[in-house]
Amino acid sequence: MSHGDTIPLHSSAQSDIDEIENLINAGSHPVTVLPARPPSPPRASIPVSFVPSAAPPPLPSYQKVPSSTAPTPPPLPITPTAAGFRLGVGIAADGFGSPPDTLTEPVLDTVKRDLSRIVSNLKLVVFPNPFREDPGKALRDWDLWGPFFFIIFLGLVLSWSASVKKSEVFAVAFAVLAAGAVILTLNVLLLGGHIIFFQSLSLLGYCLFPLDIGALICMLKDNVVIKIVVVSITLAWSSWAAYPFMSAAVNPRRKALALYPVFLMYISVGFLIIAID
Amino acid sequence: MDRVQPSGENYANPRTCFFHVLFKAAALAFYVLSALFVSSFVIIFVVTVFLAALDFWVVKNVSGRILVGLRWWNEIDEQGESVWKFQCLDQESLARMNKKDSWLFWWTLYLTAVSWIFLGVFSLIRFQADYLLVVGVCLSLSIANIVGFTKCRKDAKKQIQQFATKTIASQFTSSLQSAFSVV
Repeated sequence: MSHGDTIPLHSSAQSDIDEIENLINAGSHPVTVLPARPPSPPRASIPVSFVPSAAPPPLPSYQKVPSSTAPTPPPLPITPTAAGFRLGVGIAADGFGSPPDTLTEPVLDTVKRDLSRIVSNLKLVVFPNPFREDPGKALRDWDLWGPFFFIIFLGLVLSWSASVKKSEVFAVAFAVLAAGAVILTLNVLLLGGHIIFFQSLSLLGYCLFPLDIGALICMLKDNVVIKIVVVSITLAWSSWAAYPFMSAAVNPRRKALALYPVFLMYISVGFLIIAID
Repeated sequence: MDRVQPSGENYANPRTCFFHVLFKAAALAFYVLSALFVSSFVIIFVVTVFLAALDFWVVKNVSGRILVGLRWWNEIDEQGESVWKFQCLDQESLARMNKKDSWLFWWTLYLTAVSWIFLGVFSLIRFQADYLLVVGVCLSLSIANIVGFTKCRKDAKKQIQQFATKTIASQFTSSLQSAFSVV
């Protein structure tokens, strides 16, 4: 039926009332141009179905949205006879007039979007801007790729620096960091703080970036004094990066209780870096 | 599930299927065979976990979309609450999804998780805590994908049912309206 063509996507977050309204409206006048998704941040993951009250007029939106081309009624986005892997080739964006969405975008777009998200998260977390309005909201688009790479990198650097027992050092570093992040998050939650589990994991992972740099420098320069200086600086930087998010998440009276374990974990990692030989 | 497909129906997206299986198989194979070639645990860990993470990304972002038309992710809304979002193609596209593709998708997903559980049991028996760490990470990635896509599929079915009932209701309403307008 024609409704199938005009309503390509369903999202669980769409309210039922909106859908009923749309169906009744669609029945009364034919919809030839598909309503576009309201312009969205680069993440492009907002519920894609039409919301009549909030949607801007369809046509101008097409210009704003990067991957949609012709506003013609769609052939189906993915056909069984189409070629297979579409890396780098815009697929259903051609001729698929409905809102470009993450479901039918080319693979390269997904890769680029994820990479840019990692970079923006890194900049947001590690180079904190003191004049930022709301620190607690800044890591909305959490992702775990950054933390994954940083933890692995730190473990690798520590393992390379060690002259004996390399495997144990790596395993211990990884387990301590991963378990430590989980425990610190639970700590905040148990203190009655408002933080999302994965958001906090993501944050603590990104805050390891300065310590990664410190560990790299310490691996290259073997002087103890330099190591202590470098580790102290990067440790302070890590803690300073983690401070706004953690303190925004809890009751002000409990701030110290939430921040102290974070500081403790980073100090222990710092000792590990200094003591490795 | 029968393995004999109707004649003339092949994999619709052979390259996507290939990549879907590639990283899973590579992670499992590397983990199992590495003990023969590589002596350093660090390399085994990093390569296996990296392959498993790549596989997670490929399944979630590429093969889930292309083979079964489903997508799931997590967002944090304005109030700071975490919301799980599910998205699926419309009903006609879903019905046109190649059966062989989706069979492969789901079965490899389940098989991988089961294999990791077996390997985990082996390393538990041998009291190797560090290998258990590797298995734990890979297993949690597989399970995350399974749970995400299962929820997404259930949500898609629910959406289709709701949509069908609403379409019937709206058609009924419009025919009533037209009947009354004529009269």
